[in-house]
Amino acid sequence: MRRVLTLALLILASVPLLYGVAKLPPIGSVDNPAYTHVVPHYLEKGPEETGCENIVTAIILNYRGFDTNGEVTVIFTSLMAVFGVLLAAKKAKEQPGAIETPVSPVTHFIVRTLAPFIVVFSAYMIIYGHSTPGGGFQGGTIIGALLIATSLVVGSKHAQTFLPEPIRLWLQPAAVLTFTVVGLVGMLLLGKYLSYPVDGAYLFLRVPFLTAIEFGIGIGGAAIVASVFWAMEGSIE
Amino acid sequence: MKALWTNIDYVASVVLLLIGLYAIMAKGNLVKKLMGLNIIETAVFAFVMAAGIVDGGDAPIMGPGANPPFANPLPQGLILTGIVVAFSTSALALSLIIRIYARFGTIESEELWGVE
Amino acid sequence: MSRAFDVVLYGLLIACALAVIRTKDLLAAAIIFSTYSLIMCLLWQLRGSPDVALTEAAVGAGVTTVLFLIAVSRTTRRER
Repeated sequence: MRRVLTLALLILASVPLLYGVAKLPPIGSVDNPAYTHVVPHYLEKGPEETGCENIVTAIILNYRGFDTNGEVTVIFTSLMAVFGVLLAAKKAKEQPGAIETPVSPVTHFIVRTLAPFIVVFSAYMIIYGHSTPGGGFQGGTIIGALLIATSLVVGSKHAQTFLPEPIRLWLQPAAVLTFTVVGLVGMLLLGKYLSYPVDGAYLFLRVPFLTAIEFGIGIGGAAIVASVFWAMEGSIE
Repeated sequence: MKALWTNIDYVASVVLLLIGLYAIMAKGNLVKKLMGLNIIETAVFAFVMAAGIVDGGDAPIMGPGANPPFANPLPQGLILTGIVVAFSTSALALSLIIRIYARFGTIESEELWGVE
Repeated sequence: MSRAFDVVLYGLLIACALAVIRTKDLLAAAIIFSTYSLIMCLLWQLRGSPDVALTEAAVGAGVTTVLFLIAVSRTTRRER
């Protein structure tokens, strides 16, 4: 009954949606409204104004830096919420007799063999994020995924020694902290929060700003992804 | 009808959105509902990305060898942010689901009506 | 030509989404959801947005799937 009712509602809802979609401007043309406001400016002046050859990085770090600042705050807040939700459940565990699932030696070997290459790949992605695809968050997530894979193979206890508790506490808010620091330095030197030098005496600071933010997002992202995994994995059975 | 065919990318994202909505409305399992929410999120990403498609467009990366037309970089930047936020909400929702199961022993929404 | 390939990918996406909803096994649903994210990633790579494709592959297909798997292993596998 509920299924039929839901289907009827959805079919009803699809009519105005499809009608509206049919009226949208055709896809694929350069004359689309989405392409005519600020995008030509970004494409034309982007590399020279921001120092990023990758325009997407230029947009997320420079033109729309506030968005990214909010995004790293959101993901850090969500990590805190996950800790808050799972903290009480975590206390209930602490039973030593938990059965360890044996890991296939093939998985073990593959994770161990690929680990250095994955680290190099993500470091490349973070460092060259301004001129090639990728960037801070992608590289950081890949490092976080590597930490997760390591935890699955050798156990979380062992994998957590790569990021000991006191260090982890400072790495988790790394992205928020770097954004705040870079934003405030920009404010002191140039007058506005999170502003980058376009020309003038401080131009040499542009690349250090970008690199600092990329590294901050990367390290913070890796710590947050791995911490969410460990928090959920350590919760009760 | 022809307009729908030229805008097939928009139509596909509408269909995905309706599928996700169905999962949220008709399924009782909380994990299934969350998967429906994730499908809706990707449908919205696909919709915004569809507005930025350029036929034969290259990746918007300048430098030697880059030649126009380029794909629209603005939706890409917005969606990068969106994916991260979607990940945050999924992580929070899943930990809530784990807590609900630990507390009540079920993740079916209909059985959750009766528990105290 | 590329339009036809897009249509094939959209068909696969919709099929995956329906399969996620239809299957009663939550573990299988999580794996199918990961496939869904990978197809999405392929679609975005074809449209000249490698940044989004990388993010989707790392976050959507990788980490979110792992979180789903943990949640399934900490709760139940069968959907009633």
